[in-house]
Amino acid sequence: MNYAIVVDRLIKDFEVVERESGLKGAVTSIFKPKKKKVRAVRSISFSLQEGELVGFIGPNGAGKTTTLKTLSGLLYPTSGFVSVLNYNPWDKSHDFLKKIAAVFGQKNQMWWDLPAIDTFELNKEIYELKTREYEKNLEELVALLDVGKLLKTSVRKLSLGQRMKMELIAALIHKPKVLFLDEPTIGLDLVAQQVLRDFIYEYNKINKATILLTSHNMNDLVDLARRVIVIDEGEIIFDGALEKLVSDYAKEKIIKVTLASDDNIKKLEEVGKIKKMAFPEVILSVPRATAAIAASEILQNFPVTDLNIEETPIEDVIRKVFRRNK
Amino acid sequence: MFQIILTYFLWNSVFADTNTEVFGYNREKILTYVFGIIIIRALVFSARSVDIPGEIADGKLSNYLIRPINYFKYWLTRDLSSKALNLAFSISEFIILAIILKPPLFFQSNLLYILLFLIILLLANYLIFVIRMIVSFVTFWMPELAWGAQFIFMMIITEFLSGAVFPLDIFPDTWQKTINLTPFPYLVFFPLQVYLGQITIVESMQGIMVALFWSLILSIIMKKIWLSGLKIYSSEGR
Repeated sequence: MNYAIVVDRLIKDFEVVERESGLKGAVTSIFKPKKKKVRAVRSISFSLQEGELVGFIGPNGAGKTTTLKTLSGLLYPTSGFVSVLNYNPWDKSHDFLKKIAAVFGQKNQMWWDLPAIDTFELNKEIYELKTREYEKNLEELVALLDVGKLLKTSVRKLSLGQRMKMELIAALIHKPKVLFLDEPTIGLDLVAQQVLRDFIYEYNKINKATILLTSHNMNDLVDLARRVIVIDEGEIIFDGALEKLVSDYAKEKIIKVTLASDDNIKKLEEVGKIKKMAFPEVILSVPRATAAIAASEILQNFPVTDLNIEETPIEDVIRKVFRRNK
Repeated sequence: MFQIILTYFLWNSVFADTNTEVFGYNREKILTYVFGIIIIRALVFSARSVDIPGEIADGKLSNYLIRPINYFKYWLTRDLSSKALNLAFSISEFIILAIILKPPLFFQSNLLYILLFLIILLLANYLIFVIRMIVSFVTFWMPELAWGAQFIFMMIITEFLSGAVFPLDIFPDTWQKTINLTPFPYLVFFPLQVYLGQITIVESMQGIMVALFWSLILSIIMKKIWLSGLKIYSSEGR
């Protein structure tokens, strides 16, 4: 297997000018700028194999976007080694740029006054695509996202979700081998989110494209990424399978019970920690190791009509990960 | 337009007596200079690249950087289209004013001068492009001051020293010599001098060499500043 992305001990510092509020602050900062160095990424290392789809998660300001921008050649690494498809992204060689794409949130590359199709045509020229190739790619992408009817509408008239789909088409019209997606589902409704997720999943599968995706939306990760990299305060604190993240950090499992009567309901407290009690439903959390025993105990001693053992919701796990790291 | 009319009447009254010669210009030539400014200005000074500081400051530059686009060729092309548009407008302005004011215009008949004029005009357009780029790239270091730097430099220094306000001959000799060593007079003043035949062919060639020299030096500086600017570019807001 070849590595599509290699990051080794990457460090990125930003220089930030601090200034007091108001006019006085503005004037002083011109003559005596108070500069402060901020380390956004603190020596991180990871690699992605070709065709891998990896979720990149972390709280705001953790360094996710900085890493993606360094990988796409926008930022100059303070130190460390970065390689994407065996190119140094910083060189911005056109051969390299033709093989990657980056979509940063809802910020657009579309021309607002023109219909989406014009931006696609422009990209066809920029990426020097053959007409046949362009038409085939466009047809495929338009079908996957179901936006055929909107191609000729001027972009400013499109809804956020429709525009996001167009952004993706514009970014993918040249069939990049590596794709950086920064919050692709931000601000979208649930249906649009699902469409976009399915699309990313399909794109990854059909084209064997390597995708690094950041998101605060845990559904994105559960659906798409088998592997996640968790970054906090510029450092990687977890890198591995999503299930492992859950089993590592979630020491408990959740048991949901539906009861036929509320006799002895208080006694459930002895089995595990009660998280929610709303008869007929009770939700308990029990230690991972004894989950099965706890379940059978409940089944024997209580009038159960339904019982489910579940993993801790991924949101709770992630929250725990970040809090523990503080 | 207003400025042109004003300068026109100023010089027109200075040269009220048709035999007057001031700074080596007769009435015909000085009025041609004033009218020539309309065209040359529109051609040389119009540009789309005034948008660059804004794009650097708000991070839109990233959109170009992640795609296989040559940033310089991109803006050169956009500038050219803007120049073409402005040239069309300025020609109509020229014609309207010529009809109203009926100035005695000077037409160069020496083909060599015309050829040199065209060459220096090409160089002038390239020079202003490079100068603009360099000034725009200040934004990388001082995003808040971008607009100010652009304004002061382009409006005052460039326009004033280029001869777009009045012919540089009115400066004392030593000043002129110094200014001639900078790239600025080659933007407006020098092309018009060549067209009017105010300087000899040899002097014209020398001027072209100076302009060429500056084009080269400034191109190198532009590239250097661009590369070091990109290193501190933080791609904000994206």
